[in-house]
Amino acid sequence: MTEPALAFHRRIDAALADARLRRALALTTGRLAGGRAAAFDALADAEACRHEARRARASAIASLDSHLDRFAREATARGCTVHWAETAADARQIISGIARERGIRLAVKSKSMATEEVELNEALEHAGVRVVETDLGEFVVQLGGDRPSHIITPIIHRSRQDVAALFQEKLGAAPADVADIPAMTALARRVLRAEFLQAGMGISGVNLAVAETGSICIVTNEGNGRLTTTLPRVHVALLGLERIVPTAADLAAVLTVLARSATGQASPVYTNVMTGPRRPGAAPGGQQAGDPDGPDELHIVILDNGRSRLLGTPLAEILYCVRCGACLNVCPVYRLIGGHAYGGVYPGPVGSVVMPGLHGAEDWSELAHASSLCGACRDVCPVKIDLPHLLLAVRRDAAARRLAPVWIRAAMPIYAAVATRPWLYRLAGRAAARLARALQHEGWIRRLPGPLAAWTASRDFPAPASRPFVAEHHARKAAAR
Amino acid sequence: MTSPRERILASIRGGLLRSHLPADGNGPPGRDAGSAAPALREMAEQFSAALAALAGHVHRASGAAGVADVIAGIARDQQAATCISWDDEHLGCPGLLDALSSRGLTRVAYAVSGDPERRLAEAAALAGVGLGVTGAHAALADTGGIVLVSGPGRGRLVSVLPPVHVAVVEERRLRPSLAALLREEPGLLDSGSNVVIVAGPSRTADIEMTLTHGVHGPKHVHVILTA
Amino acid sequence: MMPRPARVQLFATCLVDQFFPSAGHAAVEVLERCGVEVLVPADQTCCGQPAFNGGFAEEAAAMARVTIDALSRSDDPVVVPSGSCADMIVNHYPELLEGDAAYGPKAKELAARTYEFCQFLVDVLGVDLPAAPPGPALAYHASCHGLRGLGLRDQPRRLLRAVTGGRCADLPDAETCCGFGGLFAVKMGPLSGAMLDAKLEAIDRSGADVVVATDVSCLMHIGGGLHRRASRVRTRHIAEVLAGQGHD
Repeated sequence: MTEPALAFHRRIDAALADARLRRALALTTGRLAGGRAAAFDALADAEACRHEARRARASAIASLDSHLDRFAREATARGCTVHWAETAADARQIISGIARERGIRLAVKSKSMATEEVELNEALEHAGVRVVETDLGEFVVQLGGDRPSHIITPIIHRSRQDVAALFQEKLGAAPADVADIPAMTALARRVLRAEFLQAGMGISGVNLAVAETGSICIVTNEGNGRLTTTLPRVHVALLGLERIVPTAADLAAVLTVLARSATGQASPVYTNVMTGPRRPGAAPGGQQAGDPDGPDELHIVILDNGRSRLLGTPLAEILYCVRCGACLNVCPVYRLIGGHAYGGVYPGPVGSVVMPGLHGAEDWSELAHASSLCGACRDVCPVKIDLPHLLLAVRRDAAARRLAPVWIRAAMPIYAAVATRPWLYRLAGRAAARLARALQHEGWIRRLPGPLAAWTASRDFPAPASRPFVAEHHARKAAAR
Repeated sequence: MTSPRERILASIRGGLLRSHLPADGNGPPGRDAGSAAPALREMAEQFSAALAALAGHVHRASGAAGVADVIAGIARDQQAATCISWDDEHLGCPGLLDALSSRGLTRVAYAVSGDPERRLAEAAALAGVGLGVTGAHAALADTGGIVLVSGPGRGRLVSVLPPVHVAVVEERRLRPSLAALLREEPGLLDSGSNVVIVAGPSRTADIEMTLTHGVHGPKHVHVILTA
Repeated sequence: MMPRPARVQLFATCLVDQFFPSAGHAAVEVLERCGVEVLVPADQTCCGQPAFNGGFAEEAAAMARVTIDALSRSDDPVVVPSGSCADMIVNHYPELLEGDAAYGPKAKELAARTYEFCQFLVDVLGVDLPAAPPGPALAYHASCHGLRGLGLRDQPRRLLRAVTGGRCADLPDAETCCGFGGLFAVKMGPLSGAMLDAKLEAIDRSGADVVVATDVSCLMHIGGGLHRRASRVRTRHIAEVLAGQGHD
């Protein structure tokens, strides 16, 4: 196995040994998956809703270049400044540049996986900008110096006691401030309200961009998305180039399934659509006032970082993803190991396709093997992505690059050679049965040799039958005649 | 010399030419766009139920006096003496601000400047404001959300900064869903720099999946449906 | 619904053939009792799913061609006592052999007449199986590939209800993967073992004496775990239960 694969296996082992994490994962994913199921049961036409959402995303991706180009033109026409970032480094450079040029010392952020992907915060800190995460979960992640473990609910891995300790240590909170969850939430509100008011820049992701009007849509439950994109004079939005729909009607189609899939809510609390920065009044001396609030500048940074390359590969369908997290919540593997074990920004079934797709098979294809291909993810994807099909594509690519373990690479041609020769298959079956007779006890084998010992580490293996079915069936029929 | 834009678009075009996108089979027909809109009363009931499920409050009132009575009651419960609000003409209830003032609820001038230095002082002045009063462009029956469009006299932060948000919505502005509203008003997103759908009070369950309200936005949301 | 076939071919699957022949014999018995003649092509081997799932498409395609040949000497419908192997033939053979001028069309043709065992009994034959005599409490585990790949949701449960009355109930979390996953069980041993633990815990909670499923792959994994823990709970393939062999 490669070193990254070995490291992944070690992280899995560590996660499996963490009983507290397991319980927290069961609670959170159970709640979220249950919420999703109830929300879709309550929809009279759930399948039609998923179909509509898929159609909206598929039509965007099928002509992605023209929709993206239109988006950029429409956004620019309405006063936005559009930047194009080919790589993560470009995105960091562009956004740091915007901050530096304006002498910005403090930026507030609403939750954005794309900004985690490009490692924006560190770059901004280097440019002399203090960055404050404002989503409560991300705020805790930032104080704790670790990473989110779920796309939607970032701190499954943290108990309330963890959060209380962090607030006391990093914010100087008094015991009364951390006595319970409402108190901690109120403390975070106070602390972060001051940051919102002083920040020179607000940074957000984009849940969905609308090509026809150059609009960006950001959804939150907390309201930090609204404050981030309204209070500071400068708003920078990082937009993954695939997160787009052609029209406002398409936006509505996706919004119908987005929150329902993520948490089971029929709608997020705040569905925030911005079309250009604040609108100024008429020329000086005129009567017409402008917007009383809103940013003076709205910068949209369109991020590629490998997404366009995916289009020409069998993984292209993953570009439909709207990052709702539903696949994580039903994945029996994610529910056991949580997000950190995957080792990258995107965990779970979607991460197992996105990470190798964007960041290379060599380092990340092993994620796609941490799946029994049960298909639970495909059943809940709001845009009906065939995730198992994509996981298989990652595996095929990995096999072609000779990334499979040596014993599997050796065994496959032998297995195929045997199974394509019925006489050899029957012979091998008889030989295996004879061999197993020595190993088996009352029909079961307690220890298999070599790499197969991984099976018998936790369960017995059945002994091969002394009379295989096909041969026995024909023997009985012959005897009956 | 190509630009990043040109290179990215070229990369996309190249990918699309080698396309591996699934050829989608026929799915079930799209949602029924043609059905007649439900009756106003049915939508009002659906809206009320949806918003109540989100811990929001729905009231019925009519006329400036009636609406002002409701708002004054909310203010008393919250021990709020001051409010910020949209301009009267955007509240959908002529004379409401005067009626509020005569019931002892003082409207504070709403100003949050772009200059971070001054902003803290302005915010301090607004810190004690208990209520934010807005109108609404529409109310969405299926989710209990209200649609707010920003513009002159319709500040975004009126519905975010104070701990209580009161929205006055004319009943005839009820619509079955966002999709229905957009079919009727395809230019909605362009009508303001910010169009926001607010469905209930601010919430989080980030810590141990325990639901808490009033994170960054208001802790209480009241919608007053007027006849 | 197609006209009632007089004859079918049984694709036993390599695991039934080599490890659980009783499931194969039971499937033949049930089909014959329903008035269907059962052919068992002698040169059948393995559908190639482990290679396919491992990303080894060429090896999988080689096995697919051999399987197609074995099952295409006759154009009788094919019945498979395994949801995952039926899913392989029905949903994956056509895409696997899409570029193959000779076998592409054959794969599609075979896919169109291949059925999982319960699917065949309920959807094609429309049988009513008679009730069996009273026996142990049964719990049903819904194997993933049949469930989600073939839509095999109602058919096994209907058959079990008809034959066992109220004696068979869903396991708690019946539709959660048991963790077998083919090579996954070995390649990701600890994960597979942890998923098995969860399934065994559900079996414990159910209080059942026998676990039933449509796939012996799940059953050898679950059964191996039960045996390792010296549990008195047994596993049975659904064909054995339907043939009235639900108890020892």
